[in-house]
Amino acid sequence: MRKASILVLSLLVVLSLWVPSVAAAEKIKIAGQFGLVYAPLMVAKAHRIFEKYGVEPVWKEYGSGGAVREALISGEADVGFMGIPPFLIGWDKGCPWKIAMGFVVVPIGLVTYDPEINSLADFKPEDKIAVPSPGSIQHILLAMACEQQLGSATALDNNLVAMPHPDAAAALISKKGIKAHFTTPPYLFEELSQPGFRLIVDDVSIFGHPFSFNVGLATETFYNQRPVAYSIFVNAIGDAMAWINQNKQAAAELLAPEFQLSVEKTLEYLEWEGMNYTTAPYGLMGFAEFMYEAGYISKVPESLADIAFDNVLALIGQRAGEMSELEKLQGK
Amino acid sequence: MLNNRRKVINKTLNQILFILALMLCWELLARTGWFPPLLFPRLSDVLRTLITDIRSGEIVGRLYFSLYLIAQGLALAVVTAAVAAVLALCSPIVSDWVQAVMAILHPLPGISVLPIIILWLGTGPRSIVAVIWFSSVWPLIANLHTGLRSVPATQIEVGQNLGLKGVRLIGKVLIPSAFPYILTGLRVAWARAWQASVAAEMVFGASGGEGGLGWFIYKKRFFMEIASVFGGMFVIIVVGLIVERLCFEWVEARTVRRWGMTLE
Repeated sequence: MRKASILVLSLLVVLSLWVPSVAAAEKIKIAGQFGLVYAPLMVAKAHRIFEKYGVEPVWKEYGSGGAVREALISGEADVGFMGIPPFLIGWDKGCPWKIAMGFVVVPIGLVTYDPEINSLADFKPEDKIAVPSPGSIQHILLAMACEQQLGSATALDNNLVAMPHPDAAAALISKKGIKAHFTTPPYLFEELSQPGFRLIVDDVSIFGHPFSFNVGLATETFYNQRPVAYSIFVNAIGDAMAWINQNKQAAAELLAPEFQLSVEKTLEYLEWEGMNYTTAPYGLMGFAEFMYEAGYISKVPESLADIAFDNVLALIGQRAGEMSELEKLQGK
Repeated sequence: MLNNRRKVINKTLNQILFILALMLCWELLARTGWFPPLLFPRLSDVLRTLITDIRSGEIVGRLYFSLYLIAQGLALAVVTAAVAAVLALCSPIVSDWVQAVMAILHPLPGISVLPIIILWLGTGPRSIVAVIWFSSVWPLIANLHTGLRSVPATQIEVGQNLGLKGVRLIGKVLIPSAFPYILTGLRVAWARAWQASVAAEMVFGASGGEGGLGWFIYKKRFFMEIASVFGGMFVIIVVGLIVERLCFEWVEARTVRRWGMTLE
């Protein structure tokens, strides 16, 4: 009796593990995050763009690039979005994936309210700086700025606190616990709207030119075994981006309730200087070179083909002779 | 006695062999290549990175910091619990209050109060100490309270007849008599403090300079050094075992067992 019930139980467990993987054929599992950056995902969802191409998207939301990475490795997601640094850390450690598209270019920077702090050199050991997580694009940009201004990439590592954007924004605005926050829209805009809050370092001054804040990735398995679904993924996200760029007012109306902001505020944020929803990638190699020099990864991609799928390579192109503008923008 | 000791040794040997077999299975399973090493690293790789992390001093510093915070949190909890239990012993009204507060707050996991603690105390070691205190103080009070109340009235009266009063009565009669409970309380409190310190750091990610083992694991997770994540877990297990097996059993053997009053 007892043996029989154990047998039935283990059969049930095996079946429950096996069945979903068979049934999920027509679905694309998409791992995103939350925030203004992910507006194209919200538009694709609201306008049912994937459904128009005949596939069913499964939307999953995670709290950090690290969590998206884990979802992709464990097979919980087919495609996902994260900053270039978490992508490169995974690539360095052998994750079988490549970049399928650039995602957005957004302003990003280090905000403080403390009138005493005017540059990175003014941070005292007890002044806390919030970033979403170690190894995030915010952390890597801060390390880049530290190397440029203070001579060492790890100069402020002991000041770091890992906090999700909403918590850190609340803490900074109430001037409690942290002195500065390395952040992105809409939190960046919200913080900069407060009296006395200002940027002490920004993206372009660190990197030299704009770069993709996020990239879309797909696993090699997905790319090789489901080429149609892969193309649909690239096209559907592109459609959503083009719609936002051309219909800012309508996009603001659609997105405002999601962010619990007024339509005017959302529109102001969408039209903020520097915002650019584009599938063209920028800065792919620049991050890799810095992260290698600073010891965050153990190797540099030999060429873009190591880290990007063919559609991305075609988009960037390969000019005979001197590099084209877009090619140059991949470096630092 | 000798026979008993042999039994204990046999049991330990049996357990060690089983664990070693499990470890061997792990290594072999990882070597089959059925699972990507990113998800399931080899045990040998885990041990190798653990040695590197120990040599570089990183894990030792993190461990020291974790233990330092736990010591602070536990010490505060012991003082709080002692005061509460003694007050409860002196007055039945306070005893009712203590029981009521305990009934309300004991079921609350320490980690769930973290958001409030961050708001009040900020994101620093202070908040982690507060979470450790909150996690360990209730089991301590519960055991102290029960322990002190379960001291037989005759024992107290004998003590009083011998002329013991106040602090000396507590030290000579009440504490030894309630010691099995006190020890149980400390054991539970230690386990919960250890868990709370790691959990708290993994939720809010302590600041880089002053993080313990939780922060170590958290950071390694984001840099995808899975072998180091396992290494951090190993250290937590080993320290837990050492404290449980060496410290608590040592105290137990020299106190309650010698006095012939184990609860088992």
